[in-house]
Amino acid sequence: MSTISPPATLGLLPRRSARPSVTRLASFAFSLLTLAFLLLMLGLFLVQSLPVWRHSGTGFLTGTTWHYPSKLFGSLPMLYGTAVVALIALALAAPIGIGAAIFTSEYLPRRLRLAVKLTIELLAGIPSVVYGLLGILFLRNYVSDALTRMGLDPLSGDTLLTAGILLAVMILPTVMTLTDDALRAVSAQQRVAARGLGLTRTQVICTIALPQARSGILAAVLLALGRALGETIAVFLVVGRQDNVWPQHLLSLRPIVKAGQTLTSKLGGAEVNIAYGDPLHWAAIVALGLLLLVVVVAVTWIGAALGRRSTIHA
Amino acid sequence: MRKLFDATFFTLTLLCAVTACGVLLLLVSAILFKGFPALSWHFLTEQIRLVGAEGGIFYNLVGTLILIGTALLVAAPIATGLALTHSVYLRNHRAKRSLELLLFTLNGVPSILFGIFGLIVFVKFLGWGKSWLAGGILLGVMILPTVTVALLERIRMIPRKYIEAAAGLGLSQSQIVRSIILPQSIGGLVTGSLLGLARAAGETAPIMFTATVFAGAALPQSVKESPVLSLPYHIFILAQDSFDPAITTKLWGSAAVLLALVCVLSLIALPLRLKIHEEAQHG
Amino acid sequence: MVELKQVSLPCQPEPISAPILEVRNLTVRAGKRVILQNVSLAIRPNQVFGLIGPSGAGKSTLLKCLNRLAELTPGLQVTGDVLYHGRSIFDRSVDPDHLRTRIGTLFQQPVVFPRSIYQNVIFGIKHVGDIPRRQRMEVAAMALTEAALWDEVKDRLDEPAQRLSVGQQQRLCLARTLASSPEVVLMDEPTSALDPKSTTAIEELIVRLKSNRTVVLVTHNIPQARRVADWLACICVTDNVGQMVETSCCDQMLTSPQCQAVVEYLKHSQG
Repeated sequence: MSTISPPATLGLLPRRSARPSVTRLASFAFSLLTLAFLLLMLGLFLVQSLPVWRHSGTGFLTGTTWHYPSKLFGSLPMLYGTAVVALIALALAAPIGIGAAIFTSEYLPRRLRLAVKLTIELLAGIPSVVYGLLGILFLRNYVSDALTRMGLDPLSGDTLLTAGILLAVMILPTVMTLTDDALRAVSAQQRVAARGLGLTRTQVICTIALPQARSGILAAVLLALGRALGETIAVFLVVGRQDNVWPQHLLSLRPIVKAGQTLTSKLGGAEVNIAYGDPLHWAAIVALGLLLLVVVVAVTWIGAALGRRSTIHA
Repeated sequence: MRKLFDATFFTLTLLCAVTACGVLLLLVSAILFKGFPALSWHFLTEQIRLVGAEGGIFYNLVGTLILIGTALLVAAPIATGLALTHSVYLRNHRAKRSLELLLFTLNGVPSILFGIFGLIVFVKFLGWGKSWLAGGILLGVMILPTVTVALLERIRMIPRKYIEAAAGLGLSQSQIVRSIILPQSIGGLVTGSLLGLARAAGETAPIMFTATVFAGAALPQSVKESPVLSLPYHIFILAQDSFDPAITTKLWGSAAVLLALVCVLSLIALPLRLKIHEEAQHG
Repeated sequence: MVELKQVSLPCQPEPISAPILEVRNLTVRAGKRVILQNVSLAIRPNQVFGLIGPSGAGKSTLLKCLNRLAELTPGLQVTGDVLYHGRSIFDRSVDPDHLRTRIGTLFQQPVVFPRSIYQNVIFGIKHVGDIPRRQRMEVAAMALTEAALWDEVKDRLDEPAQRLSVGQQQRLCLARTLASSPEVVLMDEPTSALDPKSTTAIEELIVRLKSNRTVVLVTHNIPQARRVADWLACICVTDNVGQMVETSCCDQMLTSPQCQAVVEYLKHSQG
């Protein structure tokens, strides 16, 4: 979603008349409805998850075992899985996406750039279930082969790593498009002035464009992160859905090449239907949803704030 | 020395661009290449038999169309209301920013949470069980930001002179809204809706607990306990048991059809979006 | 009846130095539209060469061609030649980036970078020149002095450049350009965005600059041209195309123009 700038034209509209307008009332009603939806979601998640907060307290966040028959609800492995998958995705998508955006916005002529931009946007519309399908039918085998060749002896290709790689491809268009927008917003006058001093095109990119687009690019990365954290279907299909995968030693990378579980893969799974009968179990599931909501919204807000700052500068 | 740095930088970014575009295009070709053999008129118009190993995806396609149609009916009026609130009725700058933040937030909410929310509210609390209407409503709310932003951008481009002329003739605010702003912004509504529907068509997470089943449904008869079949859920379920080769071809075919639907919806919006983009550049 | 052939008049005393910049049959197109047609002129060193003419005639475009800045605008096709020290600037062996350090530019709107005053002045030499770090301060001081800005900023070199007034910013941009020691400075209406006091300051600078550099100045302002320029060329629009109509030394053109188009223009400007 591109940044919204306030419309310039409509300050000219006359002030409203005394008689209430239906359109106006309806518009406000709809806006409040939208707000109510979000608040209701937050409220419901808070209320319905109360039992598990009472039961496990902060243990919900720090416990490393999730076993619902024994009423053990530790979400740390899922938080770990979510973080790992998202970070792998960012580590792959951010450099390539930013590099590609630099190329298309700085070196390509206008028409080609537009063509590439629209193609990428079209490709961004590929549904996540299709990505999941591709992950299952192709990526899974590649990862499995590669890991076997490295002597890591995986059980299958369904690993946190696989999910991370798949996610990287999914968020690549987001990073590219938003970085391209951020670079385009940098003042053309300054670029020309720098060229006038004899700087090469690349120098202008490195000394003028990139520094000034910095907050916009960061916003792009954060928004992509938000998407990565919240993606369910594709991750569900290739992550292995194995509970309680947790590194034995602090910096061990072993769990990355094993099957794991993320917040979203748990929330998209069969356990959700099973849980409804039991208030505590259900509370635990909803608490996972609450965690996801809070984390993703926080990341999105930071990204929005940074994106705004870059448009104010321009 | 500078020239060397120049060339290196250029090459690096070129490689990134090639990698990015290459990977994405590879994906699409893979799907098309694999899915093409399964496609036929038969496939599209016959309904499912034998748990997807035989027959076609007719009712899956119908179900998806019902879901996105409902989403459109939900999203269009609300998005219009939001856009008008932002552009016309809110004068305070901070209020506008808050509305933008609301849209931004809604856009970032993971789709699975829509599904969980729908499970709580529609399936259980309202007692609808799985219902096409619940799915449509959830999808409609989910695509609100997409539709609203397209509308806002279109409204922003309405030339000042129209508004000035109308205000000069003595038209009131609501008259201007009805006679100028709404008619002029239809293009934005169409574009936004098409983009939103393209997104909604491919979503699985909001509907898998609330609106769709894998088999045993055709056209919904009422609101309660009336699930529909859908393309993305169909693919989702089959993908988890993808070892039967007979299923695999059908699976690719379904994916190709879904992709085609999403593409068609996005591509129809393209000429409008290009026009808006051009006008924004020179306007 | 407008005379289209280019009128070149001798002035007293006859100039003897070889031109530092020569334009030969320059034509600039944007797609199908011709912006400038067959412009030829000669710019001699250590003088202020003014380009005057009605707006939209192509003066700025012509100016930008002199150091190949016009290439940065997509879609412009330039045919003809520009010679710098007798060598074509479009020659394969010429590096356009290096050319721009020899022929600098001052734009109509002052463009300061979002950095400190000091960082702005040394921006060009920092990224392009071979001047080692220790000498940069010296070069900056000299450039700021030449731009008549040193006394006003010497105590606050680390402050953001955007805090300066518009007139000061324009002088800063001039200092930044001068830091690279260009032989020629191109100025595109450098005072049109400034108040009268800053305008006077810049005009004085321009006259001072010509002692060791050459200045090519595009200006709308005839009195300014009279005050500052030694030689003028008038670009007018005829048949929808910019053409150079007359070139001669300043006094001659403004007191007794030969070209009908120049007469018309002068009557409108002063009337």
